[in-house]
Amino acid sequence: MKAFLFIAILVLSLWQTAFSQETKDTLTIKTVEVVAERIPEAYKTTEFDSSAINQSANLSELLQEHSPVFVKTYGSGALSTVSFRGTGASHTQVLWNDISLNSPMNGQIDFSLYPTLFFNNAELHHGASGLIDGNGALGGSVHLSNKTNYNKGLNVGLQQSIGSFNSYNTALKLGFSNKKWFTETQLYYNTSKNNFEYINIALQEEAATNQSNAALQQYGFQQAIYRKLKTGEIGARLWYFNSDRMLPPTMQASLNDENQQDESLRILLDWKGLAGNLQYKWVNALVKDQLIYTNKLANINSSSNSYSVNSKIITKYYLKNRFMLSNNVSVKYEAAKADGYNNEHNRTNYTWLLGLSKNFKRLNIDVFNRFAQIGENTQVFSPSIGVNYGFLKQKQLKLKANAGINYNYPTFNDLYWSPGGNVNLKPEHAEMAEFGISYDYKLKQTTMAIEATGFYSYVYDWVIWQPTSDNFWSPTNLKEVENKGVELSLRIKTNINKLKLMANANYSYTMSTNMKAKNEFDNAENKQLLYVPYHKMNYVVRAIIKGYTLSYNYNYTGKRFTSSDNNWYLPANFISDISLSKKFKTSNKTSFSASFKVNNLLDQDYQSIAWRPMPGRNYLGTLTFQFN
Amino acid sequence: MRLLLYISTILLLFSCSKKELGPQCVECDDDFTETELSDLLITNEGTFGWSNGSVSLYNPSTQNVSQNVFSQANSGNALGDVVQSITQIDNKAYIVINNSSKIEVVDINSFSSIATITGFTSPRYILPISTNKAYVTDLYSNSIQIVDLISNSISGSIALSGWTEELLLHNDTVYVCDVSNDNLLIINPNNNTLIDSVKLGVQPNSIVKDQNNKLWIMCDGGFNESNPKLIKFNPQTRTIESTFIFPSVSESPGNLKINATADHLYFINSNVYRMSINDISLPSSPLITSNSNVYYGLGIDPINEDVYVSDAIDYVQNGLVFRYSKSGNLIHQFNTGIIPGELLFIQ
Repeated sequence: MKAFLFIAILVLSLWQTAFSQETKDTLTIKTVEVVAERIPEAYKTTEFDSSAINQSANLSELLQEHSPVFVKTYGSGALSTVSFRGTGASHTQVLWNDISLNSPMNGQIDFSLYPTLFFNNAELHHGASGLIDGNGALGGSVHLSNKTNYNKGLNVGLQQSIGSFNSYNTALKLGFSNKKWFTETQLYYNTSKNNFEYINIALQEEAATNQSNAALQQYGFQQAIYRKLKTGEIGARLWYFNSDRMLPPTMQASLNDENQQDESLRILLDWKGLAGNLQYKWVNALVKDQLIYTNKLANINSSSNSYSVNSKIITKYYLKNRFMLSNNVSVKYEAAKADGYNNEHNRTNYTWLLGLSKNFKRLNIDVFNRFAQIGENTQVFSPSIGVNYGFLKQKQLKLKANAGINYNYPTFNDLYWSPGGNVNLKPEHAEMAEFGISYDYKLKQTTMAIEATGFYSYVYDWVIWQPTSDNFWSPTNLKEVENKGVELSLRIKTNINKLKLMANANYSYTMSTNMKAKNEFDNAENKQLLYVPYHKMNYVVRAIIKGYTLSYNYNYTGKRFTSSDNNWYLPANFISDISLSKKFKTSNKTSFSASFKVNNLLDQDYQSIAWRPMPGRNYLGTLTFQFN
Repeated sequence: MRLLLYISTILLLFSCSKKELGPQCVECDDDFTETELSDLLITNEGTFGWSNGSVSLYNPSTQNVSQNVFSQANSGNALGDVVQSITQIDNKAYIVINNSSKIEVVDINSFSSIATITGFTSPRYILPISTNKAYVTDLYSNSIQIVDLISNSISGSIALSGWTEELLLHNDTVYVCDVSNDNLLIINPNNNTLIDSVKLGVQPNSIVKDQNNKLWIMCDGGFNESNPKLIKFNPQTRTIESTFIFPSVSESPGNLKINATADHLYFINSNVYRMSINDISLPSSPLITSNSNVYYGLGIDPINEDVYVSDAIDYVQNGLVFRYSKSGNLIHQFNTGIIPGELLFIQ
């Protein structure tokens, strides 16, 4: 109930004050889009503005603070997975320039390993729109993309941050482009001792304790080179990332000597353009991941390696009478080897998406079907249909509805892990539908967009690992889950004389219900899934005047159950961050900016996951130099 | 200004006290007063890394159940995870908490904390040797820790290699299941030295002593490594007297227990089995059939030989314990905490 009251107050406050677009004070290189990959309007999407991207260190922070997606994090810098519309960690696909980065081994993404430096745009595709992107997105997908930009000469951006707990972050962006060529280099280095102090409520006598064994170091780079063509471009992009972190113990454990190293290499070759009425993109990618886990106490040293080679052709053909035909074909080879497998496993996946869209004056209809052959598993029919209708003079008021079916294929761990792997698993599949209404408002200096979406999905054959009578764990398709809820978003920008104000707010209500009991003694039936909050809400308000930017970020996560019978829960938490920055123009082409940020302003003690401490109030100072 | 006002209003709506930070219980009664003689204590392991281990209490005559006994008796403190075992030593209970690397020592009646013994790596079972000394086996430390029961601290260790599990004292000699090396380790507790080790089957996990002073050891066979074996061992001659081989390599028997008169063995092998120490073969039919349950822990009432068997259901919710008579009739069933594992009757 608190959350509703909260929204009421928020909406009130936003109506009375007014907000607007801010200037970017962080590293940005202006960009030009050659081919726009748009999801039809019938589907709910959330686009992150560049200031949200720039202000977040990584994808985990971006989603937690600026989206309705729930992020489950084991601590600062530690493993972060998400629950999108009540689904599991392997039900959110992450695509980078149209290539899926999810691990073929567990289907998941560790969102803490994706610095925002490495992409220009990020967008969420909710629910059934995930089908258009590919398999597996039972909750939705996250799209990361980079942009190219010609004839801009030299761009340099250098940023250094220093924060609490010996945290240092260095980022460099170098870009050069002329009429024909675009090249861009990003370098990233991040290190933190992460030895924050927290009150250990697990101790008999609650005492201030320093987080131990939590240090991390990350570095990476991205290199792109593109050549402009008559109606498009061709080029390559390489992303290397290396992370080395210690894994801290829970509040209840006194010692831990675990370490995890992740190394990723992603190479893209893409060619896109226009030929008459045909818009095309051909992208080829190599994605290679390695994870090394060591536990000195247990004398474990295990490594997991996977790679995939993916070739995708994405086309849109504009026909007469405002018909549009989408035709996407993908071939992917994936292979993985882990200490937990008896040998290396691989499979080849073919998918083909065919879609037809028709624009009437106010009505759009989109129909899609995806054919997939994943290893031995063939799925001929996984359809989606979307409809949207624009009301009022400029279609400011829109009604949207869509429905679809998507499949998530078993991962290599589910199939082949020894002991337990089950080669007879069926793909999980979700039937989903959503209905939304959006309203855009524009008056003089003020723009506002408000959107409300109700969603429903039912996931069949959800894979769960359970113990067997032979004393090992094994996955089966036993679980069924019903997800339903509401997502609200509000975006406002306004200018009052020289003051620019803006506010973005997201709220989601998610009921994620376990529909199937294991046996008559199972009390988890009709209960909310573990670690899926009913309420999640966040907002950012920003004021910009005379080169100063003041931002306030609020983040509320409702209670999450920690036992499947819903007898235990973690209480809600609400975290505020505030930052102030000032930009100095030092010449026509150069500028400096300095910013100071206070995270967890109210110094809240909280846990995102039970008994995993999160840092209290902490500070981050950043200096940025920009030349362009 | 107005905006700031709104923001502060919003922030004021939420306030939080310290005790409300960690996991909260929806339905947990505050009903524990003290334990009684012949009560059953059930340790609930809790999920690895989730710190939700606990102790449940069951009174076999009134059939009353209390949950979170440790927490109730100790101002809401959590026990940690994974609660591996519980052992009564005189009027104290020693609760061995594996992943939290500690042993909580509590008064057996009030359950209030007396001491916390720390410094372990991954402790499993504790065995009292004398009034002031106990041994603690360990999963990872490659040693047995020697605990001083007076000062409640680790006083030394016996270097070994690998995972040691259940252990037993007989005739001033300690017998230890050495899971990693498939051995029975024989230790002289007077000078804390390893005297001998005898090859058993793959992965010995539990050990009991019968009325004829013979030791029985269950070897689960590992994961499809070899057929499980139940071994009868003569401690006097240090030889295996008989070996009972389970028919299938995929079976994984464990939880070997013995009744108070020490003439009947009980164990879980999917189902619950009962066998006489004089039987010449493994029991062909179970005492209790598991049906859809996955049995996890086993306890035999020393007074009436009632059989208590636990089920952890999905391992992330409160489990339950079924109470059967020794002839296999269901008497009662009751809920416990998360992953009920070990059962101890207060004596």
